[in-house]
Amino acid sequence: MTGLLAIGLLFAASMAIGVYGVRATRLTTPDFLVASRRVAPGWNAMAIAGEYVSAASVLGLAGLMLKNGIGSLWYAVGFTAGYVAVAALVAGPMRRSGAYTVPDFADYRLGSQTIRKLCAVIVLVIMWLYLVPQFKGAGVVLHLVSGTPYWVGVVLAGSVVTASIAAGGMRSATYVQGFHYVVKLLFIAVPAIFLIVHAGDDARQEALRMDVSEWSRPLLDLEGSGQPLLATWSVLLATTLGAVGLPHVIMRFHTSATAAVARRVAVGVIVLLGVFYLFPAVYGLLGRVFTPGLVRGGDTDTVTVVLPGEIVPGGWGSVLTAIVAAGAFAAFLSTSSGLLMALAGGLSHDLSRASVPRLRLAVAAGALVAVLLSLPARSVDINVAVGWAFAVAASTFCPLLVLGIWWRGLTRAGATAGLAVGVLAATGAALASVLTDPGPGWLVVLLAQPAAWTVPLAFMVMIVVSLLGRPPEWAERAVLRLHAPGPAAAE
Amino acid sequence: MLDRMRRERPDEAKTARVLTVVQKIDADLQDGLGGRGAASAARRLRRLLGAETVVLAGLDGPPVAVAGPGPQEEELAGLLAQAYEQATTAHRPPWTAVPLIVAGELSGALAVRGGADAELSAVAALVARSLDHAALRRARSRIAQADLRTLRAQISPHFLHNALAVIGARIRTDPDRARTLLNDFADYLRYSFSTQGDYATVADELQAVQTYLELQRARFDDRMELTVRMAPEVLPVAIPFLVIQPIVENAVRHGLEPKPGPGSISVSGFGEGPLCVIEVEDDGVGMDPAFARAVLAGERPRKAGAAPDGGRNGVGLANVDQRLRTVYGSEYGLVIETAPGSGTKVVVRVPRFMRGVVAN
Repeated sequence: MTGLLAIGLLFAASMAIGVYGVRATRLTTPDFLVASRRVAPGWNAMAIAGEYVSAASVLGLAGLMLKNGIGSLWYAVGFTAGYVAVAALVAGPMRRSGAYTVPDFADYRLGSQTIRKLCAVIVLVIMWLYLVPQFKGAGVVLHLVSGTPYWVGVVLAGSVVTASIAAGGMRSATYVQGFHYVVKLLFIAVPAIFLIVHAGDDARQEALRMDVSEWSRPLLDLEGSGQPLLATWSVLLATTLGAVGLPHVIMRFHTSATAAVARRVAVGVIVLLGVFYLFPAVYGLLGRVFTPGLVRGGDTDTVTVVLPGEIVPGGWGSVLTAIVAAGAFAAFLSTSSGLLMALAGGLSHDLSRASVPRLRLAVAAGALVAVLLSLPARSVDINVAVGWAFAVAASTFCPLLVLGIWWRGLTRAGATAGLAVGVLAATGAALASVLTDPGPGWLVVLLAQPAAWTVPLAFMVMIVVSLLGRPPEWAERAVLRLHAPGPAAAE
Repeated sequence: MLDRMRRERPDEAKTARVLTVVQKIDADLQDGLGGRGAASAARRLRRLLGAETVVLAGLDGPPVAVAGPGPQEEELAGLLAQAYEQATTAHRPPWTAVPLIVAGELSGALAVRGGADAELSAVAALVARSLDHAALRRARSRIAQADLRTLRAQISPHFLHNALAVIGARIRTDPDRARTLLNDFADYLRYSFSTQGDYATVADELQAVQTYLELQRARFDDRMELTVRMAPEVLPVAIPFLVIQPIVENAVRHGLEPKPGPGSISVSGFGEGPLCVIEVEDDGVGMDPAFARAVLAGERPRKAGAAPDGGRNGVGLANVDQRLRTVYGSEYGLVIETAPGSGTKVVVRVPRFMRGVVAN
């Protein structure tokens, strides 16, 4: 009950900020614009981190760590390191291009409606792959704190997010997401510290005991394949390069006033994410000592929520559980709102340009599909599914953005071929790994986390096909604009 | 009968091919005779006519485009001169030149070596029509720019006078405020008259709105309350120049000015997925929805008891509406929600990104 109450309060607070947050900027002095520009970098970094820290980070990371060992922390490394790539390669130029989404960028750089539509389809694929684990997380958490069946949680989550967007809950997305970052950090960090203190000396010793051959091995072994180096490399590649191509991340850089600020924001995000990822590790380490039973039950994704009750019994335990559950719910709410907005944007704006976009309808439709996909997905690990979303982003939008920004020679044909090959290879491999079981060996790694081969493949196809044709004549000017320091230098 | 029809009708594939080529020639000539596509058009014409050489020439200077083995210069010059002088087809075997008459004016010639006469005059007419289209296209974009210039020039003399009078009245009593107002006035003029670019960021537009409203507030003795609510993510969005300011000006002049007692005006902006929404709301006298519709349609209806310059009422709004439609497509026009006595709300809803829309 406490858990439901905490989640309800959190939801009410974020709705209030979403709808009335715009009014928080209410200023009647002439320099209100200057003020809002000054506020932006800090809030913006928090907003990006808030949107980015999803159920995968709050629930999935600790769960996967419990299941697969310390090597799972490479996910956290990749999630954070992705922002180094974002800051270095795309944040500033994207900001200068004026493009708000990846389909916009494709339109700007290549001037083709076909590629725009193709990009919009890929946005849908990535967003749905990313939404499913979020909804799953919501279903699992709700099941834990109130005992409702899994499907109730999923359906409820879908309706809550849709309703909150429809009611204007994302109007001031920057403030909502910033608020959610703070909530997530506090609601994960405070119980974590409390639990460390409360666990007792023996348990702390036990948690930190390293045994390099087994669970505490520093590399990540996917599905017991026996190829830890390859698996680690593939996960790192997917998460690092995937962050470059995530549609809902890219649009956030537009809040920055200038390209330099956009880069500074990206650096701020790295710091915020680095701080955050300290805490899932705490839950993973302690979970191994206190809740080893979860591994056998297959419900490792719940470890973050279960753990407080195991360590601190009684009233305080349920309060802590409620806090953590609310944090997890915040993660789910903020990320899936951001994802749904990006998805609905693609659905309503890029794929059907004819009429005035029906955004709310698109949000509802997107949420419905995500809910339907999530219902049978209970056994899929949160982080694994998110890893797929990153792998698809890394093998489609990452090459498009990186080559589009840094190479004049990119042609329409090259981009189309690369995008098509990337999305088919990455989703095909993910599907194959769900449907088949090739046994231990490198093949299972290449299917379960395909980034290691799909990313180089997509880059190669894009480059080779581009070299065969001639780039559009405005390519030079379009690229120059992306790198020119001031708008005046563009013409 | 059927037999004859079949004989007369060329086979479909050939017709389709010819029509495609004609379309492509039209596309090549979309920048006029001086455009980049002229050479490609000449090549296509040569293939279409099966001629040895095709020359596209302007009224003066060397030929714009030559496809095939080049002609003797004096030979061609003589031929063209003859064609221009008589304004009819000129023959100098093996050459033929047809003058291109675009919108009733001689503007060039098509010269061909080795081509059938009948075909040639038909093709020349086609080329002339393509050139006419090109000219119309250029004219259309000139009109859009002229619209913007009209709006810039429309800064009301009343407003200028009132602003200066208000500043003058405060110079002795409140010199600090007068100084600020004068700065606002200067900023406002600089923005309104700035000739650079067709697009500005929402932030720039709002700055102009702010300076305008500060001046109006001084006139109203601060009886007017102003609220700005902006989500920071829409500030850098590029929108057409002078879109928000005319709406606000309209709200002040036709909503608040006729209203006795205090009034308030609020400008708010937020993102809605891929769209950027800006709302300007006032609690002034409002208007009849039918009247609003007529204003947007550009009919400038007469309103009973309108201000002396009431004929100009809403020209700003109609102009903004038109420009938004030109830039973003017909579904992105202004939306006006109003009723007599209950204020007016004007909503601008535009995509955050549109190819070619970049703030300067």
